[in-house]
Amino acid sequence: MNELLLLIGYSAPVGLAAVGETVSQKSGVINIGLEGAMLCSAFVSMLVCHATGNAALGVAAGMLTGCAISLVFGVFTVILGGDQVVVGTAINLFSLGLTGTLFRSIFGQSGQLISVSKIPNWHGLDPLLAFLLVSLPLVTWLLTRTKWGLAVRSAGEYPKATVAAGYSVLGLRLEALTLGGVFAGLAGTYLSLGITGTFAENMTAGRGFVAIAMVTFGRWKPSLAFASALLIGFAESLQFRFQSYGWKVPYQLMIALPYVIALLVLVIVGKGAASPQALGQPYRREN
Amino acid sequence: MRPETLRRFGKGCISALVSSGILFAALIVTLLAFGLPIVPSLHLIVDGAFGDRFGMSRTAVKMTPLLCTGLAMIVAWRAGIYNIGGEGQFIVGGIVGAWTASFLPHDLQGIPATLSLVLILVACVAGGSAWAWFAGWLYVRRGVAVVISTILLNFIAVQILGWAVSGPLQEAKHQVPLTEQLPDALMLPKFNRQMDLHAGVIIALLLAVLVYVFLFLTKSGYRLRLIGDSPNVARANRMHVPREQLKAMVLSGALCGLAGGIEFTGMTGQLGLGFSQQWGFLGIPVALLAGLHPLAAIPSALYFGALFAGSENLARFTEAGTTIVYVIQAVAVLAFVGTRSIASRRDAGRVEDDSPTETLVGATAGGTS
Amino acid sequence: MSALEIRSVSKRFGRVQALSDVSVQFNSGEIHAVLGENGAGKSTLVSILAGFVTPDEGSISLNGIRVPVGNPAECRELGIQLIHQHFTLVPQFSGEENLALGSFRGLAGTLDLDSSTREAKTIAERLGWSLRLKDRVATYSVGEQQRLEILRALALGGDVVIFDEPTAVLSPDEVTDLLGVLRRLRDEGKIVILIAHKLSEVLAVADRVTVLRKGVWVASDIRDNVTSPMLAEWMVGEIPALQEHPSYISEGTQGLAVEKLSVKGARGEVAVRSVSFNVLRGEVFGIGGVDGNGQLELAETLVGVRSADSGTVRFGDTESSPYISYIPQDRQRDGLAMGMSVSDNLLVSGIDHPLLTSGPFLRPSAIHTWANGLIKKFQIKVESLEARVSGLSGGNGQKVVVSRCLDRLPDLLVAVNPTRGLDLKATQYVHEKIREAAALGTAVVLVSTDLDELSAICSRRVFMNRGEIMDGPGAEALLGGSEAL
Repeated sequence: MNELLLLIGYSAPVGLAAVGETVSQKSGVINIGLEGAMLCSAFVSMLVCHATGNAALGVAAGMLTGCAISLVFGVFTVILGGDQVVVGTAINLFSLGLTGTLFRSIFGQSGQLISVSKIPNWHGLDPLLAFLLVSLPLVTWLLTRTKWGLAVRSAGEYPKATVAAGYSVLGLRLEALTLGGVFAGLAGTYLSLGITGTFAENMTAGRGFVAIAMVTFGRWKPSLAFASALLIGFAESLQFRFQSYGWKVPYQLMIALPYVIALLVLVIVGKGAASPQALGQPYRREN
Repeated sequence: MRPETLRRFGKGCISALVSSGILFAALIVTLLAFGLPIVPSLHLIVDGAFGDRFGMSRTAVKMTPLLCTGLAMIVAWRAGIYNIGGEGQFIVGGIVGAWTASFLPHDLQGIPATLSLVLILVACVAGGSAWAWFAGWLYVRRGVAVVISTILLNFIAVQILGWAVSGPLQEAKHQVPLTEQLPDALMLPKFNRQMDLHAGVIIALLLAVLVYVFLFLTKSGYRLRLIGDSPNVARANRMHVPREQLKAMVLSGALCGLAGGIEFTGMTGQLGLGFSQQWGFLGIPVALLAGLHPLAAIPSALYFGALFAGSENLARFTEAGTTIVYVIQAVAVLAFVGTRSIASRRDAGRVEDDSPTETLVGATAGGTS
Repeated sequence: MSALEIRSVSKRFGRVQALSDVSVQFNSGEIHAVLGENGAGKSTLVSILAGFVTPDEGSISLNGIRVPVGNPAECRELGIQLIHQHFTLVPQFSGEENLALGSFRGLAGTLDLDSSTREAKTIAERLGWSLRLKDRVATYSVGEQQRLEILRALALGGDVVIFDEPTAVLSPDEVTDLLGVLRRLRDEGKIVILIAHKLSEVLAVADRVTVLRKGVWVASDIRDNVTSPMLAEWMVGEIPALQEHPSYISEGTQGLAVEKLSVKGARGEVAVRSVSFNVLRGEVFGIGGVDGNGQLELAETLVGVRSADSGTVRFGDTESSPYISYIPQDRQRDGLAMGMSVSDNLLVSGIDHPLLTSGPFLRPSAIHTWANGLIKKFQIKVESLEARVSGLSGGNGQKVVVSRCLDRLPDLLVAVNPTRGLDLKATQYVHEKIREAAALGTAVVLVSTDLDELSAICSRRVFMNRGEIMDGPGAEALLGGSEAL
């Protein structure tokens, strides 16, 4: 049981991000800025926790940060019609620079090791993990069994139908991005307050992109995306296992393993027919 | 001059002015946001970048990799391929170069040094192209989004670098994670022994001209641009779109690999964990802010090279380091996206059409045309 | 008796006056057809009625109550339902899900497919329609999709039903069925508005006709007072002179020979089934039929963009490979590189021209002279060679495509709906150029859904239905066009 929770813990950052990203992609938007949203949340949650000593406040702040950054992405792509890759890359760069600069100017040049109180847990189960597990059926229900979910999916499949039915594609996409942002924020928060209890420059290390890959591998289903994330968590935990078995594998190659796996699964699934048909295409409404 | 030429020149000047304005505004806004005093900070930055010949040398050596990777991004993005894996291609180029260097005899008897240097650079180009080719192949064969695959390959490259410099390529004493230092004879020539400035900057400037000629004055470059703008038009005219895309990706990787090679043989002379200071990644904003034009990439790279050099100076007196430049770049890119969106909206109202209702209403009413 | 009234409505898009000072009254218990050419303002009128476009001036009232403009949701609430020309169904959704999507009055709450589609199912029963509502719409035929669209609109309730060019994509049986539905709705006392540009349909079903031309109201009258020539004159202004058929060189100059050609479509389905035909040099061979019956796949295979599954495509008398030009259907997507200049767009075909290149390099000054020549020869109105092609009008954009296709006389020219969306003048221009090419010895394959176009310039024509070529009497009925009714 503890083993399993540990595995889920390792998988949680990618898992949370992937579940949220599933919602965004169902509405037709690939949040390339996911990585940046996670990084900013990891930093802000650590900062707030450090300042107040209250992990709950840290989590809340991280969540809001994730929403805010995702909304910035939404404003530039969905509303202004900017290219999703260009804007996402800019946001990732922005987050890298912002957190790096603030981290050094607040905690000193080299970024001394600081540690903040982690999220309390009960036999390895903490509120964020519980949230993640509960969110899986919840998000699935939201997407498949609510009116909003149907409208969001239509915006991702065929926006013209959404408009004809009287809904705003832009509004639905922004809402989906915001919800995705909540998850991205929690994902980042879990890195700093859940796993490490500290912050390091660029600590997300590509997990946002791994999460995007897992959404594809999970065929745009929240539970499958999470299951794929477990694979990444398992790969991440392997380095510690190998150490404990005394096997000598260069640790850098172990660190690279999750990325290799993410790449492999993309190769396996290839072009997906299950992908929302309007994914990545900006919707323009001119008046 | 013909009026048309004159008008285009005028338009070019205006857009250059607007761009400069945005770049400067991004700098000011960022400084303000971090609570740095504007005038003293600007003074420190300008001083660090252009204050003396050492400053200018620092600016130039930072501009060099930015320009090379920026050009690499221009080639790929013009072809409609979102290569954001410049970082990985840069690093793998460096690794393959260092690996090749480790085979070359140290005393250089028998092999002219220049030939060895060229060999190393060729190896770097090969490494970068191969890394990019892989992502390109995944895209055309398996439909794996280049954005995702290249990013993942970046992280894999970083780890391979870490493994290489502390394993197979580590210096003889096995004490620090660094490769053996290249002998001076195998390095790119320097203009002045006291300064960092090396011949790589000339290579980079030449590359900008070459990429310009390639894109706008060759058949191959034309095809590449056409495929980037409208793959469907290219396809309808019997061009082999995947093959051209793969070509663009390999060319882009080659430029990144060369950038890594120039950094290796011009600046560092050895590989360490910090071999690339995000040079591959930072090529993206350089390219975007140049409007994907190879010649405009020169001032764009120069501006950011100067900012990096200047911010190092700033970092000596304040807590803000070079990472602040990332923020400036990101803000500038977003500002460009914003202004372009507003401009295109303004232009949209001026489009003339024989059947305006067909196009305009179609867009508005979602197919009610 | 209820009525929908529009008063002095005007709308301008950029420099173009799409509608100016149009007033019409639509009565209940009447099928009121609105006729006009492409670009006459019909679409704008529909969009304004349905609330998708806000008029610059004028007002709309239903039964004397002012209808708020520019608000699709409120127009729907008030009972003005629009059946879109291009279906607005989500292909990946089931029929039920599509019905549900259109039925909500807000997005809060859980999805109950049964209760949201109850009304629609009742109407389907009343009309005697059985639809596979659990299946994905992607598996529906075009006619089934339209029924779903109609159900969705009727389920919302209300007195006004607008059909926007509903017959364009239907087979003859489906058209007959649809016209029946229109009559039925009229008999139920609804205001039925039919947007159309085919005279025959209008004459067959309408009770009252309004004609628009270039955004201006031309005439309104009841059906019994109008005749086909009258309507045509109202629509076009003057009836264009009958076009004479060109003479063909057909003394045995073998051109294109297609034998037992089968082609797979994008989703792996068989799009073209064992098709055989010959096209001589100097001949314009027309292929008609309703969109989506394999014409596009056939055309793409002929020009070498798509590969054949089985069968052969040969070009007779040329030793070397024939020079093939292609005017694709979708100008904005396949024809023009919208982000590039006029010159770059012309170069699409010039890239292999020996005079314009030397080795791997382009010769900019030669290209400049050549492109200027093309622009003069084909009378393309452009600001400059360096201007973006996206700024050109539809007609001038198509001229760019046509000019580069005919710059060097091709052995084979394949054109797919080359005049779609063009005005009359531009249409005549394109037809003239195609006939010229044929007269000079090109073998032309013209794929078109427009029967009038086929009649105007083809020496022979066949029709495609479900991937097969149909010939002889009765085949023309597949078009659902003016000669079908």
